Amino acid sequence: MPRVVVDPLTRIEGHLRIEAEVDGGVITDAWSSATMWRGIETILKGRDPRDAWYFTQRICGVCTTVHALASVRAVENALEIEPPLNAQLIRNLIGLSQYVQDHVVHFYHLHALDWVDIVSALDADPAATAELASSISDYPRSSPGHFAAVATRLTDFVSKGQLGPFTNGYWGHPAYSLPPEANLMAVSHYLDALEFQRDYIKIHAILGGKNPHLQSYLVGGTSATIDLNSQNAINTNTLVELRGLLKKGLEFVQQAYIPDLLAVAPFYLEWAGIGGGLGNFMSFGDFPLGAANPSKDPDNLFLERGVILGKDLSTVHPLDPFKIEEYVAHSWYDYEGGDGTSKAPFDGETSPNYTGPDPPYENLNTDEKYSWLKSPRYDDTPVEVGPLARMLVAFGSGNQKVVDAVSFVLETLGVGPEVLFSTLGRTAARGVEALVLAQQALDVLDQFQTNIAGGDTRTHNGERWEPNSWPEEAQGFGMHEAPRGSLSHWVTIKDEAIDQYQIVVPSTWNAGPRDGNGNRGAYESALLDTPIANPEQPLEILRTVHSFDPCMACAAH
Amino acid sequence: MGATDLAEGTLLDRLDRYGISRRRFLTYCSGLAATLALPPRYAKVIAQALETQQKPALIWLEFQDCAGNTESFLRARNPAVADIVLDLVSVDYHETIMAAAGHQAEASKEATIAAGGHLVVVEGSIPTKDGGVYCTIAGKTARQHLEEAAEGAAAVIAVGSCSSYGGIPAASPNPTGARSAESLVSGVPVINLPGCPANADNITATLAHFLTFGALPATDGEGRPLFAYGKRIHDNCERRAHFDAGQFVEEWGDDAHRKGWCLYRMGCKGPSTFHNCGSQRWNEGTNWPIGIGHGCVGCSEPGFWDTMTPFYDRLPRAAGFGVQTTADRIGVGVAVGTAALFGAHGVGKYVQRRRAAAGEAKATVAAAEADAGQELDSELEEN
Amino acid sequence: MTTDTDQAVGPAEPEEYVTVKVWDLPVRGIHWIIFGCVFVLSVTGFYIGNPAWATRGDTGFLMGNVLAIHRATAWIFIVMVIARIAWAFRGNEWSRWHHFIPVHKKRRGLARHTVEYYLFVRHDPPPVIGHNPIAGLTYTVLYLVFIAQIFTGLALMSLEEPGSWQDSVAGWVFNFWSIPGVRFFHHIVMWLVIGFVIHHVYSAVLMDHEEKSGVMSSIFGSHKRVPPGHK
Ligand code: HEM
Ligand code: HEM
Ligand code: NFV
Ligand code: SF4
Ligand code: SF4
Ligand code: F3S
Ligand SMILES: [Mg+2]
Repeated sequence: MPRVVVDPLTRIEGHLRIEAEVDGGVITDAWSSATMWRGIETILKGRDPRDAWYFTQRICGVCTTVHALASVRAVENALEIEPPLNAQLIRNLIGLSQYVQDHVVHFYHLHALDWVDIVSALDADPAATAELASSISDYPRSSPGHFAAVATRLTDFVSKGQLGPFTNGYWGHPAYSLPPEANLMAVSHYLDALEFQRDYIKIHAILGGKNPHLQSYLVGGTSATIDLNSQNAINTNTLVELRGLLKKGLEFVQQAYIPDLLAVAPFYLEWAGIGGGLGNFMSFGDFPLGAANPSKDPDNLFLERGVILGKDLSTVHPLDPFKIEEYVAHSWYDYEGGDGTSKAPFDGETSPNYTGPDPPYENLNTDEKYSWLKSPRYDDTPVEVGPLARMLVAFGSGNQKVVDAVSFVLETLGVGPEVLFSTLGRTAARGVEALVLAQQALDVLDQFQTNIAGGDTRTHNGERWEPNSWPEEAQGFGMHEAPRGSLSHWVTIKDEAIDQYQIVVPSTWNAGPRDGNGNRGAYESALLDTPIANPEQPLEILRTVHSFDPCMACAAH
Repeated sequence: MGATDLAEGTLLDRLDRYGISRRRFLTYCSGLAATLALPPRYAKVIAQALETQQKPALIWLEFQDCAGNTESFLRARNPAVADIVLDLVSVDYHETIMAAAGHQAEASKEATIAAGGHLVVVEGSIPTKDGGVYCTIAGKTARQHLEEAAEGAAAVIAVGSCSSYGGIPAASPNPTGARSAESLVSGVPVINLPGCPANADNITATLAHFLTFGALPATDGEGRPLFAYGKRIHDNCERRAHFDAGQFVEEWGDDAHRKGWCLYRMGCKGPSTFHNCGSQRWNEGTNWPIGIGHGCVGCSEPGFWDTMTPFYDRLPRAAGFGVQTTADRIGVGVAVGTAALFGAHGVGKYVQRRRAAAGEAKATVAAAEADAGQELDSELEEN
Repeated sequence: MTTDTDQAVGPAEPEEYVTVKVWDLPVRGIHWIIFGCVFVLSVTGFYIGNPAWATRGDTGFLMGNVLAIHRATAWIFIVMVIARIAWAFRGNEWSRWHHFIPVHKKRRGLARHTVEYYLFVRHDPPPVIGHNPIAGLTYTVLYLVFIAQIFTGLALMSLEEPGSWQDSVAGWVFNFWSIPGVRFFHHIVMWLVIGFVIHHVYSAVLMDHEEKSGVMSSIFGSHKRVPPGHK
């Protein structure tokens, strides 16, 4: 039977290819392949470790900032540098706003079209849409006039015959089940979210100079300075502006994102039983409440660190970073000493060796090597990372804010926590997380202001800035929970230069190929048993894969 | 191909030029209506619109990229990205935002290429090593995709430093043989919008220039539009007065840093970089790298990953001398070395002559040289 | 490696030496103006490269002034370098270009003599009045370095004004070389020149002291005392 191939799998970052065997209308096996590699780990060798954050940030422009953070943490960990509290808080603000931004863009621009049939929105009644919208939220742009304008714009657009990015979508697919009014509302919010993401992310410009790819990181702190009496530093102007933007973020999540999620979910409740996958979850936890590097002090984090195995929420296992290893059994790399083994990142190797079919090709040889991703494993076990994993670990650890938010969503939908282990659960967890973290960002801003009010304006620790203050050899790792999951950078510094740099990425954990023991990764196992109504239009594959918010530039790096 | 070809004529004219008949066109329209799951009456509407439409098609190709330029484009203000996508150009292919996936996505792109006269935006470098296996999409290499898409295109716009100059994938040792779009495309005008990423304002302005004036804007020697890359960061920098005054940040977070003094000594590459960050700024004019107290790293210059590093030093390192070998260290070494060598020689001559004069000509040259070296060394130490 | 300590041991006693007017006024004038320029360019260049002295008050326009001086001096320097090259075709016997580039057979023979003298093989110095051929070559190399420094200086200047004449003259270098690369070169050449000056002065002083040929004063006052028969 011919395979269902989705390549390019669009509305993600990067180049992902899914091959699936479909039998009797369900997926019986699946392979996930990343088809682009740049070699950033190789490129870092021999460079100044203080430059590494700028390089690694370019791993991804969607989850911009996260690799920069993991990198400075790794180097600071290696050189035993503790940045001042202000720097830690600024990094938290940047990271938290990245989450809100990333999750909103994912929900509206990358994932929504899996559930929303834009073409069906043409049949919607603007007045009824307004009624629907006002019934679920007090989001301001909900008048009949507003929806009529959106409908007109959409009709104009469609009748011009150039559907642009909406050309050839799976419109009219039987798996679309929202009524036209819900679709129109979603289209309207799709457009609003485009505006929102542009405005909200000015937080990054304020604290990082620009977005994407902020330019205020420094090993030892940040280049942003604080001086309430200076025009060129963080001052009261800045703080007021930040507060305004952070509030807007929280409002958008409260008034649009969460209500939309809750409005759409009931039409797709069957997806609470599809796409569960591994049932093992890992979170590094993040957002230090104090100044310490989370690589060193895992107990003082806003989101908890831990591992959940076999969907057992009652036990959150402690996490040991040294149990992380990577396989290349099905990846286009060689390991010295054999490809069947796994290697810890400090001993990691990145030696590319493509053995796939010569392009142009129809199918990959999935029995052999078939991806540019390695297969990371925790304690030799495949685990899922990302919003669902984080929320589950925090929930299981009794994080009150997370427990409250998760319970609110579950109660509103009238379902139990078991539905979380699914495609829908993953998508819902992301929304819940956006809500919790949008609020947390405001709390961090309070903490930041309080600290400044106490007279602390330090933003950089320069004690070990000069390379001649470094030991001849040093090793460190930096952990960060990025929007898509657990991220770690591992660096060895020798004679003032990078000797070895390994990056273990969230989407690699999820999208990686089978490991040396033949075990599937998170995507591959979540796709099993997914129903496929029409193999020509595998919308269902998109739904489950998108629920992970794939980033292949990150994953392969 | 002249850019004006695009601005002139309806789609039908253009299809005609490619030998596509009106009947085939109408069949296409009803097919389009069907794929869109539109009621049949839409086929006529579409046909009408297509006959008169002037919206140029745009294909956005992503290769060895990080989608940073896509994200940047999403932050466009004037016009906003929704207006661009809905009203100005028809973005028929863009992996990160398009609804279609798999072969349907490729089909949409192929139809646009067949019609010709489209714009091609390239984000990310193109790997050429080992037959291009480091980036494939739908089983085909990036290079093949680029060559196909450029065929019959009105122009190629390289967004970001990766597609403009190879960018980070091409940084030493360039493990995938990554190259720029320009180096692989021929017969089509190519414009570079470097930056890491390119500033949304510069992307939209280039599109607007093309749509308004029917041609690509004038460029400099590196293929960059002058309106955005015609002047140095350093010559448009808000901290320039402090540079001229000799007021420099000396340590991160020092008093000078808080006051917004010049970042020259912290390695700022503004004096070596052409870009409009200082005047245009980023994210709707909110801020820019130097505004947040970090030096420019020259992200819009060719090869900046190798030529502007280390980022925190003004000058590059001499290749092959080790990471911390600065120009001044080498320079002092050269100066002292020359002094020692020639000085030693001079002293050697002096000794040689004295011995010759005293009838001690048997003294060996080696001894003279060694003596001289020692004398000179101690003399240098005293100084 | 070569040296310009060319006025060395002669067969005759100093008392028998004849006095020759070697360096005419343009040569001496240019020499000292170039010396002044290189001094100023190096001091200012060093500050441009390492502005370690940060201004604290509001009195300074330090970098601006230093750059202005570097530039103004650069123009004088350029004119002098051109003038000296021109003088190599107009000046007296010892300032002519063939004293710098040994094209004549006789000069090549003297070059060999000089090398052997430098390598401690011969005791007798080459019988020359002006520069020996190797010293001449050294100055040629020095002038090439000056031209490279002028070229890269103009290239750096062109960055401020794309489309300027400096850009037409030197801007094309950036098609082959990165801007920081050119900066690096311009910076390190300063050290090469400093290296030259150190050896040049050191050996001049030493030789003057040793050989009593008046080489030192010659560059101030034009005359040299040489054994009879020297060319
Ligand atoms: C920036 C510094 C200097 C440079 C670039 C320089 C360069 C030169 C050059 C190019 C010549 C060849 C003259 C000609 O034919 O044009 C020369 C000759 C000479 N210079 Fe200098 N000079 C410098 C400084 C000095 C100083 C400070 C002294 C002595 C205190 C000195 C002493 C002499 C003497 C004695 C000669 C003639 C010796 C000979 O024929 O080789 N120079 N110098
Ligand atoms: C012996 C001659 C010269 C020396 C020793 C010298 C030295 C230097 C040095 C050390 C720098 C700093 C480079 C850096 O670290 O970035 C510099 C910069 C510069 N020099 Fe020179 N220079 C010389 C001649 C010239 C000439 C002839 C010109 C012009 C035609 C020139 C124009 C410049 C310019 C434009 C800069 C860059 C200033 C800036 O970046 O704003 N220099 N010079
Ligand atoms: N996977 C991944 Fe990233 C994230 N979040 C990062 O580490 O997306 Ni580009
Ligand atoms: S130029 Fe920079 S932002 Fe653009 S794709 Fe390359 S790394 Fe990403
Ligand atoms: S901060 Fe950089 S660009 Fe600005 S004046 Fe100083 S050196 Fe020039
Ligand atoms: S680093 Fe790039 S963003 Fe602008 S300020 Fe420098 S060119
Ligand atoms: Mg890795």
